[in-house]
Amino acid sequence: MNEMSAIDRLNDNEPAAPLQATPRLQRLLAKVNPKSYPICIEKARLVIESYRAHAGLPQITRKALAIAHFLDNRTIFIEDDELIVGNIASKPCGLEVGPHGPTWPEEDFTSLLQSGYEISSEDEAELRALDSYWLGKGRTFYERMGRVYDDERIWPFIQSGIMLPPWAKKDEGRGHGITDFGWGLTLGYSLIVVDFEKVLRHGTKAIIAAAEEELRNLRFLQPGGLEKAEFLQAVIIAHQALIRIANRFAKLALDMAGREQDPARRAELEEIATICAHVPEHPARTFREALQSFWFTWLMIASGTAAGGRFDQFMYPYYKADLEAGRINPAQAAELLAMLRLKVMHSNGVAGGKTQRDKWSGMAKWHNWIIGGVTRDGKDATNDLSYLILDAAKLCPTPHHTITLRVHDGTPQDLMIKALEVVKLGIGLPAFVNDQSYIDYFTGEGASVEDARDYAIGGCLDGQLPGKSRTNAMGMFVVPLVFLMTMNNGFDSRTQKQLGPKTGAFEDFATFEDFFAAFKTQLRHFMELAAEEHNILLQAQADFFADPIHSSLMEGAIEVGRDALARAMPFENGAILNPVGMINVADSMAAVKKLVFEEKKVSKSALRQALAANWGGFEDMQKLFYDAPKYGNGDAFVDGIANTLYTFWSDTARTFTSIYGGAMKVAGISITSYGPAGSLTGATPDGRFAGENLADGSMSAEQGRDLKGPTALIRSAMTIDQRGFQATLFNMKFHPTAMTSKDDLGKVAALIRTYFRHGGKHVQFNVVNRDMLLDAQKNPERHRNLIVRVAGYSAYFVQLNAKIQADIIGRTEQHFAGA
Amino acid sequence: MNRSPTSLVDTVGAGAAAPAACADRGVAGSIFNIQRYSIHDGPGIRTTVFFKKCRLRCLWCQNPESQQEQPELFFNAEKCIGCGRCEKVCPEGAITLRDGRSWTDRARCTGAGACVEVCPQGARSLMGRVASVDDIFQEVSEDAIFYQESGGGVTLSGGDPLAQPEFALAILKRCKEAGYHTTLDTCGFASWHAVETIMPYVDLVLYDFKHMDPDKHKQYTGFSNEPILRNAKGIHHELKVPMRARYAVIPGYNDGVENATALADFIANELDRSIPVDLLPFHKYGGAKYQRLERVDELADTSPPSEAALTALRDIFLSRGLTAKVGG
Ligand code: SF4
Ligand code: SF4
Repeated sequence: MNEMSAIDRLNDNEPAAPLQATPRLQRLLAKVNPKSYPICIEKARLVIESYRAHAGLPQITRKALAIAHFLDNRTIFIEDDELIVGNIASKPCGLEVGPHGPTWPEEDFTSLLQSGYEISSEDEAELRALDSYWLGKGRTFYERMGRVYDDERIWPFIQSGIMLPPWAKKDEGRGHGITDFGWGLTLGYSLIVVDFEKVLRHGTKAIIAAAEEELRNLRFLQPGGLEKAEFLQAVIIAHQALIRIANRFAKLALDMAGREQDPARRAELEEIATICAHVPEHPARTFREALQSFWFTWLMIASGTAAGGRFDQFMYPYYKADLEAGRINPAQAAELLAMLRLKVMHSNGVAGGKTQRDKWSGMAKWHNWIIGGVTRDGKDATNDLSYLILDAAKLCPTPHHTITLRVHDGTPQDLMIKALEVVKLGIGLPAFVNDQSYIDYFTGEGASVEDARDYAIGGCLDGQLPGKSRTNAMGMFVVPLVFLMTMNNGFDSRTQKQLGPKTGAFEDFATFEDFFAAFKTQLRHFMELAAEEHNILLQAQADFFADPIHSSLMEGAIEVGRDALARAMPFENGAILNPVGMINVADSMAAVKKLVFEEKKVSKSALRQALAANWGGFEDMQKLFYDAPKYGNGDAFVDGIANTLYTFWSDTARTFTSIYGGAMKVAGISITSYGPAGSLTGATPDGRFAGENLADGSMSAEQGRDLKGPTALIRSAMTIDQRGFQATLFNMKFHPTAMTSKDDLGKVAALIRTYFRHGGKHVQFNVVNRDMLLDAQKNPERHRNLIVRVAGYSAYFVQLNAKIQADIIGRTEQHFAGA
Repeated sequence: MNRSPTSLVDTVGAGAAAPAACADRGVAGSIFNIQRYSIHDGPGIRTTVFFKKCRLRCLWCQNPESQQEQPELFFNAEKCIGCGRCEKVCPEGAITLRDGRSWTDRARCTGAGACVEVCPQGARSLMGRVASVDDIFQEVSEDAIFYQESGGGVTLSGGDPLAQPEFALAILKRCKEAGYHTTLDTCGFASWHAVETIMPYVDLVLYDFKHMDPDKHKQYTGFSNEPILRNAKGIHHELKVPMRARYAVIPGYNDGVENATALADFIANELDRSIPVDLLPFHKYGGAKYQRLERVDELADTSPPSEAALTALRDIFLSRGLTAKVGG
């Protein structure tokens, strides 16, 4: 590493005057990576207090009142040096727990404390008392779901782990321990991009006025009138509460200014007061106001997947006006954008119980800011802010918020290079997505091309139309489990139950085609169960997670007068079927076809024995299967099988309908679930041992099986027709030697563009060296800042669990001759 | 330079006998690796074909597995568990078992690789294989879409591709027919006839200069640098093929101010100031290869040059008005 950067310096590869983090920024940066994180219970306390007081009211009203009660009474503070204000938890970097359901069982809680969280004993006692509000009262959406899980069909499926994670008890769902952050009460597990412009351009007062107007005109002569009235009232209550808390900040800033000795800071506080008295109630007039208004709004919709939308697009008019009026310069804008990164860094959420935490390894958050791409009329959308957002990431190399660069033919090479300079910092961002592939997805599903061009990303990589779509059910479906069940005539050896239909004993299949057909039958059977699970989940969420704020920031919200989970959206993609480990199945199919059916080197019964024995005593056979053709090497045989499998998945999913009426859609992203999914999956004919990780992403090769370098890996990925997928995930790991000079970055840019020109949808890079990672495993103290890209998000390496750490180290490191 | 031999391999140094075939599609040759996404061997994204065989024997060679034309056995002692399977299959009886691992008598090893097949640990591998021009062309063509996007193409490296000139020529011709950019990485130790015949199919030459002093050159590589310097001039002035000069900086061997100055002067005065210079610092990655070939690494104790030393050397080139950078 040192040698590398020395050579970099020798060749003057760094720009003449690199951006410098100001001392203020450095001080703020130092605060976001503390040794331990406080657990906060204020939100749970206030929200439950309000829920108890309004037990009989409709859900949407209770939510609005709880939001108001929480905002009016919560702790607020402004930290030294801050210009953008609005604290997330009641303590800096705090983890708010408990407003949506019971917190962790004892053992889970202990493991959380061991992983770097702390809580006082009084708070812990109070938290336990608050849990009683939820426990055993039928108040969680899991309980609602569990009650309809019949013992014949759905419940055995839920226990099987085909949908991760397997439930242990009907009333505990995926495990207790729902945490939450931000100022609102979320919209379930939404992948959603709200329309921020509604607030920035018109102010929340316009939303309130529209709701009041609609209420005045409402006549109760049609079905749904009451629900509409309640919804509109809730919107008004929640937005008024937002205005009140902004005003509390204005007052706090003014009070602090009065006591402030330093005249410079006093002036800053006075300006903060002026801004907070104006936004979000009124339209933003400057870039600073727009940022503050955005931040307040974002806090209201915050969740682990809250998106930043097409940030460079809707913020640009404010920046441009300021720039032209001489109110701002690029360096100041970059610093403000960096401060926004740091605000996001204060958000702290771990999901669910320990299994769920494993699945979302390393404080997974997907706060995705989108830059670049094309405009609604198809022109290059790049502007100064697209660059400045990347500069801010250079100034402030934190893992959040993440950035995704939309790439199209006209994306300036300068922007690509700047993005790769950020990648090179090793913080795992930005990700690159292919405009054409995403736009094709939306138009293919019936969106207008103008709307399609305006897509953004919700969560990790899922395309969403701002204000027009939302995804609320998207499970992790472990395909290799179904493969193994097909080999066992529908019998699941893990739960020792006949879960699938009897499609025939493996030994009796005369041809590979017969076996493949049986697999399709099994897969369809389990996909249908998954679709049912998704619909139950959607309905349960619709009833439990109604949210006036999210809903009011969607298109047609006021006129329709229904919560976003209680109505179809202009673009309907409520439920997504999402496979994990498809590449393991492709590799397994290829090996079985070649070795068992074609070359007959191994008998069917011997293979079944070997798999049941986890290859024990069958080492030679394992080597044969391990050495069989693998996806990721540009081999047409196995790549073709992968494409057939994905196409079958996509076609089958579309035969199911969601509760909103639209066909179910597909995505291919595994986040970090390839770890826990692997733990559940026995030995597979790709030569893998039981329990080992599955292939990550959806377009990535199994780890260490791509042996012919990045171009061959990319050629494999481009054989898969990805257009019909709402997202796909393709990881590449680069050693820093491959990204030393500007010239090198240009070559990586060419790699990305080639992939995208030939159908690729997404690619992201890890740039770290192996020795660094090994050392970080041994000496986590020394590497607290080491960031890696896990899936759709980046995380501190030392916070990942050991399995995921091992995987990151094991992923093929592209190696280069002549480096 | 007016010779007209029938073969491209001839009388520079102690040239080996030429393969009989003429430069055609049926030609085959010996290579040891095809490296995709090779990004430090010419413009854009490239595929580099590493040729076996080199006429020089630089003491510091960092690709020692490339020197001979025949395949050579690579042995990774750390992986060997001493199971003895290799010993049983070796037709030459070259393998014995001692101290829980296998030992190969290199004098008897023919590089046919029977042991490689049976080793369960992957401790044995062969460096080098015979490949036809068709095979190679097909393999490099798989990445054609990447060349188009990046302005890249195919690089021949080695070893020295000029040590198998017919083979090199045939590959280059095929690549040019297909419209790929071609780069030749060579130490220039070849007959003028070979150089003259091949260069029309080369878009860029990466030309390695080992040492400027003819005696030192002979001492370190086995041959004088005289034909090398003469060919460099011919390539630049007569054949007018774009060139980059490459200077592998080997501490204690060729990193003296005197040598660097002589090289800078040669490029600036006898060639052209427009020729960029890449200073390639010696690295230690070659060491493991010597171990695997079970050969002595003459430079085991040599360390990579310091940043300060590289800067000073680079400045010598800059002071002659040349463009120079560290790293390929
Ligand atoms: S010229 Fe290069 S490849 Fe040939 S022996 Fe010398 S260093 Fe090795
Ligand atoms: S076969 Fe491989 S592991 Fe066994 S003794 Fe020979 S080299 Fe060692």
